[in-house]
Amino acid sequence: MGDWQELGQAVFIGLIFSFLLAKLISTVISFREENLKVVREGDISAGSREIESDVKNNAELQLSSLKAESAKNGRSRVGEEGAGASEKQELLKGESFLGDDDDSDWEGIESTELDEAFSAATAFVAATAADRTSAKVSSDVQLQLYGLYKIATEGPCTAPQPSALKITARAKWNAWQKLGAMDPEEAMQKYITIVSELYPSWADGSTTKKKDEDTAASSSSAKGTMGPVFSSFVHEEESENDLKLDAIHVSAREGEADDILKHIENGVSVNLRDSEGRTPLHWAVDRGHVSVVEILLSKNADVNAKDNEGQTPLHYAAVCEREETALLLVKQHADPNSKDHDGNSPLDLGGSQWSFMTLAS
Amino acid sequence: MAPSSSNGNENPNLKPTPDADGSSVEAVARRIQESLALPKRHRFWETQPVGQFKDLGDDSLPEGPIEPPSPLSAVRPDPYNLPASYEWCTVDVDDAAASAEVYNLLSLNYVEDDDNLFRFNYSQPFLRWALRPPGFFKAWHIGVRVKDSKKLVAFITAVPARIRVRDAVVGMAEVNFLCVHKKLRSKRLAPVLIKEVTRRVHLENTWQAAYTAGVVIPTPVATCQYWHRSLNPKKLIDVGFSRLGDRMTMSRTIRLYKLPESPATPGLRKMELRDVAAVTRLLREYLSRFVVAPNFDENDVEHWLLPREDVVESYLVESPETHEVTDFFSFYSLASSILSNQHHSVLKAAYSFYNLATRTPWVQLMNDALIVAKQKDYDVFNALDLMENEKFLKELKFGPGDGQLHYYLYNYRIKEQLKPSELGLVLL
Repeated sequence: MGDWQELGQAVFIGLIFSFLLAKLISTVISFREENLKVVREGDISAGSREIESDVKNNAELQLSSLKAESAKNGRSRVGEEGAGASEKQELLKGESFLGDDDDSDWEGIESTELDEAFSAATAFVAATAADRTSAKVSSDVQLQLYGLYKIATEGPCTAPQPSALKITARAKWNAWQKLGAMDPEEAMQKYITIVSELYPSWADGSTTKKKDEDTAASSSSAKGTMGPVFSSFVHEEESENDLKLDAIHVSAREGEADDILKHIENGVSVNLRDSEGRTPLHWAVDRGHVSVVEILLSKNADVNAKDNEGQTPLHYAAVCEREETALLLVKQHADPNSKDHDGNSPLDLGGSQWSFMTLAS
Repeated sequence: MAPSSSNGNENPNLKPTPDADGSSVEAVARRIQESLALPKRHRFWETQPVGQFKDLGDDSLPEGPIEPPSPLSAVRPDPYNLPASYEWCTVDVDDAAASAEVYNLLSLNYVEDDDNLFRFNYSQPFLRWALRPPGFFKAWHIGVRVKDSKKLVAFITAVPARIRVRDAVVGMAEVNFLCVHKKLRSKRLAPVLIKEVTRRVHLENTWQAAYTAGVVIPTPVATCQYWHRSLNPKKLIDVGFSRLGDRMTMSRTIRLYKLPESPATPGLRKMELRDVAAVTRLLREYLSRFVVAPNFDENDVEHWLLPREDVVESYLVESPETHEVTDFFSFYSLASSILSNQHHSVLKAAYSFYNLATRTPWVQLMNDALIVAKQKDYDVFNALDLMENEKFLKELKFGPGDGQLHYYLYNYRIKEQLKPSELGLVLL
């Protein structure tokens, strides 16, 4: 009995040992492949903004050129690469960009908005991962994202189960495998949803990021290629200076009718002046908020109040060509002939195009 | 930026807690990434004969062509391969149907601003003007179609131009209108298009090219900044092209940008066919002061500068006494679609083209340009800071734009990047 047990033990240990040895060999063999996969995932964050920045669909080519480049520069840090591949490198380097003979590269796969959003989300995650200052995400969520990423980019898990000793690899594999045959689009959608929950503002960041920042999202804009560029005014941020407007002026400027009423109920003067002599009525007319103008007029705002340049709200309405507002003001006896400090009346400043203005004068 | 040292002790956030295996793989991966991240990689452009970032400041490299011309027999005779369901085509923009196809492709898929509020809307007459200068080649107007449906899904063009770089006049191709349908973005079609246009340019024995881009690729010969002058500030604010400061009123903004009803310079008039010789003479002399500029002859001037309704406008000052032409300004007309606004659908922009002043002060001449543009109902006047434009931009209330335009030469090296004021070339 005892001998049998000992023998069984020896056989068992022998089996474990040979299993481990086999596993070690397979680990060494799969090392290079795994490296490249990680490079590829990481590479999304380093993804260039140039013409062909579709990282996820072109991983193979990208890897080829990565290999070629790292070997060429003599900076190969992956032991398996380097020598003996120089002719091949040239080939890869020269031809890989075009994928000349690779029909499957883009035939039938059209890039959808979901694709682009997904690329942007993966780029965002990669960038966040690289940023050590950003908030940590639990490893459960990380694994969930990993699984979805694999489904979206490679489909259902067909890779063999990694050894239980490779805890990380096993956990990743499990995360991927348990999603089964999930539809890639569904996986993209879920991935985006999780990222949006973790970082509600991620999409803002990726669209407002400008020059010198790389996002996969940029591939959706044509700005990344040669040609002209569409430019508009730089929006200068206002300095928080001392000359801040009072709340009632801001409400009038922004057309917030309820707030205006509250301010007035709270005892703020309907004719309160800002530092340049403008009343809430000036601001509401300037921005064309008709309903706010009506409210202010109903609260007996001074229809002929002059700012520091001698201009009335009707001057503003004339200059800004706000006909409906001008009519409201004229009905409340705004004066079309009131002169500002330059000697111009609302009629002089464009108001004469409206018949009700000339009739009123 | 992260130091390139190998450090396995700082974990990237989105990887699971590392065991020995995981961390080493990640560390290796990160080292590779770091070695590649700076400077940024441009896999396509690093294979092309263009100035490379690594060569910047290398005085041993001579100015001029990077690669010598090949014998024409060595140029690949066949078009580059496209996937089975797509085919190359040559687009005749003089044909109404083809021209409409190109217009549709571009107007739906061409360049947008960062916030996707606007998209360039090059008109069909503009495209015919831009693509058919003297000596143009039809074969350089290249499209890609879907074989089954014949739908045009990509486009790229080149037109011939003689461009002077210092003392050398070089026959170049101006490459432009690279556009890939939105649904085919990210399919790396652009490099194939660039290769194909390069091949066709080579077949016409042309070995250099000039082009622009809104992004930095290897390596700009000059970087210019766009400036904008509001002509219709209310509309520009309404559509999001410009914004009002918190304390700024619309009323004051409108008064700030108000222009006189009519130009001030005596003798200012529209350029006519009879002016071509005089304008060519003036312009050749003027452009000779810049390091890179077109080498215009009379045919070029007639094509590029003789006014065309809603395409290009040119005005000159003819001295009332001597009838001598002394000053000149021109701008081209490029509208953009406004993508999400209830009240406005088109933004009409005038782009400063070639200007020169020998008698009239710059500010007065260009203020007249603004007045003419305003009369023609343009919403904004745009100008780059190249040539002598800085002499009037600020004074005429231009404001800086968020767009930079980088200029590039293909297969031609320039030792040091040029200042915008050394550049005398405007591409459309």
